[in-house]
Amino acid sequence: MRLASFVLGLAFSAAALAQPAPVKIGMSMPQTGSLGAGGKAALLALQMWVDDVNAKGGLLGRRIEFIVYDDQTNPALTPGIYTKLLDVDKVDLIIAPYGTVPTAPIMPLVKQRGLLLMGNFSFQVNHTVKHDMWFNNSPWTDASSWSDGFIHIGQKAGAKTIAFLAADQEFAQNLANGARTLAKKAGLQTVYDQNYPPATVDFSAMIRAIRAARPDIVFVMSYPNDSVAIVRAINEIGVGDSVKLFGGGMVGLQFTPNMVSLGSSLNGIVNYNSYVPGVKYPGIEDFLQRYAKRALEAKVDPLGFYLPPFNYAIGQMLEQAINATKSLDHRKLADYLHKHEMQTIVGPIRFGPDGEWANPRVIHAQFRGVVDKDMEQFRHPGRQVILWPEQYKIGEAIVPFEKARGK
Amino acid sequence: MKFWIGVAATVALAAGLALSGTNEYFFYAGYVVLQFVVLATAWNILGGYAGYVNFGTAAFFGIGAYTAVVLFKAVGAPLGVQILAAACASGLLGFGTGLLTLRLRGIFFSIATVAVIFIMHTAIVNWRYVGGATGVQLLRPPAMPLFDSYTRMLFVVMAVLAVAGVCIARYIEVSWIGRGLRAIRDSEEAAECSGVPTLKLKLFACTVSGALMGAAGAPLPMYMSFLEPASSFDLNYSVSALAMPMIGGTSHWLGPVIGAILLGSVQQIVTVTISNEINVLVVGVLLVVFVVAAPDGVLGLLRKLKWLHRSSR
Repeated sequence: MRLASFVLGLAFSAAALAQPAPVKIGMSMPQTGSLGAGGKAALLALQMWVDDVNAKGGLLGRRIEFIVYDDQTNPALTPGIYTKLLDVDKVDLIIAPYGTVPTAPIMPLVKQRGLLLMGNFSFQVNHTVKHDMWFNNSPWTDASSWSDGFIHIGQKAGAKTIAFLAADQEFAQNLANGARTLAKKAGLQTVYDQNYPPATVDFSAMIRAIRAARPDIVFVMSYPNDSVAIVRAINEIGVGDSVKLFGGGMVGLQFTPNMVSLGSSLNGIVNYNSYVPGVKYPGIEDFLQRYAKRALEAKVDPLGFYLPPFNYAIGQMLEQAINATKSLDHRKLADYLHKHEMQTIVGPIRFGPDGEWANPRVIHAQFRGVVDKDMEQFRHPGRQVILWPEQYKIGEAIVPFEKARGK
Repeated sequence: MKFWIGVAATVALAAGLALSGTNEYFFYAGYVVLQFVVLATAWNILGGYAGYVNFGTAAFFGIGAYTAVVLFKAVGAPLGVQILAAACASGLLGFGTGLLTLRLRGIFFSIATVAVIFIMHTAIVNWRYVGGATGVQLLRPPAMPLFDSYTRMLFVVMAVLAVAGVCIARYIEVSWIGRGLRAIRDSEEAAECSGVPTLKLKLFACTVSGALMGAAGAPLPMYMSFLEPASSFDLNYSVSALAMPMIGGTSHWLGPVIGAILLGSVQQIVTVTISNEINVLVVGVLLVVFVVAAPDGVLGLLRKLKWLHRSSR
């Protein structure tokens, strides 16, 4: 009996040894802290990609082992975590954490070691380091890529004047400056330009001042809490009948809880986004259906339009490059990513020399027909009508703003 | 004598490890633990010896880090100069804060120190030269020839700072300054009546404590190759710097060292093992357990065990 168990044990060990070692992919992801909610949704998408690939037999015939640590949205933790991933866990490939701040400290590390790094919705993080093996998944590149669609739509609607309302913080100011430059180039006259302190909760005075300035378009660059307060303020006070377009760079109106809580107050606003239903990317609808089921179990963002598809796309890009080069060599993979167009569920992606998208694709969509307290409505095309970019457009902007709001 | 042998052995061990082939991850994690040794020791000078609970550690730490950034950006100052300047800047901040707040006591003093964090954070957010709210990326200069990497060098630098901080704290503890601070902690009125220069001593403690916290913050920009205000002025630094001496024991210089090594190591281990929201819970539970089971910290617990052992004989 003992001999039989010994032989059986040996047989199992031999079978285990015959199994090729897994391909280890590692990353840190904010699962707590300020980016925690988005991070968890993004992580679910990446886990879905890992499961999909493993179900197909893995990468290069080896299954994927996915190693993830929580960086708590703390940039002081990421250098240590990535060193552990590389030196202790011995991962083959790494993916950057979601967001600019946790990513920035690992840029010198990957440059120094000559590693491929797949970026994850960060902004201009490679600007100083200039690493040639960096590939970001975000559809924006520089500051102007966030606002050119909005300015274009405004011009088309016959706008001659513009008002700016921006949070007085570096990131918001960078984006607002991009919009200011584009507006100047487009010949739009600035009739109101106000920066507000980050802790502002009452926007009524500013909305009244905008109303008095009678601009044709209003570009707002705000953070999630401010965005909600601004939408509530315009709902109560109104911005006047001169305004054709309102919105632009309002962060937070892409997040499911805000969309549901603001409901019909969103109608008429034209705002940036990464993806909205109606964009015909191959495979995205299937992904979102599968994501919705798993999001329910994982208790993360139930819609998952903003971040998860772009995280799944990171995996797809790695998969495509590895299968094409039949290698895990970082330099070979980076060369492939530089030279070829990647096919993903967020559309085709071609990278520029700086590792950002060669053709940024920030979507500008107008909220229409949104009713209160209904999350499911946002799954269907038509609640956010795509106005920009031209190739994905499904409608024209309804102007003026008050008409679009149905008032 | 034993103390000085320990000091020499600690520095030699740190240097030996940095020059050995030890895994790079050890130095990233070790740096953080040593950084907390400095912060906890610095906190204990005012909070432990004088009994003034300072919640503003993050402000002094952050100002130290930003002083280093300014000097590096403006003139490419070497790390040693950055640390000295950071200690001076944070020491001055400590002196100023002390002048304005040390007439307050108890919870009122603590609240005033929290305000310092918000003031400094707001100032940095609005200062574009140091990157404002977005932060600033920095490219590390080459490490000294002896070291394989900059992180190994930073580990040794932080070990030297930790040892220096402990030496300063021990000197304060055993000198007349420490006796004066303890008198203030027990009864400020009685100390004043006995001729203890209470305000001068508190100001001194506040300045030295601030300077050490600033020195601990100075290498941070090079450690991260990046600095931004939200994480530099994070209240977690204040909470950890307070919790570590509480866990180790506040009455002796060794208490903060034990607390920092214990809690700092647990934080590092939990980050790469449990690694989800349970992180915060583990550290919280550990704190509660220590506060309930060992109100005088590990040192107090050891003393009690020693006493029990003696009395049973």
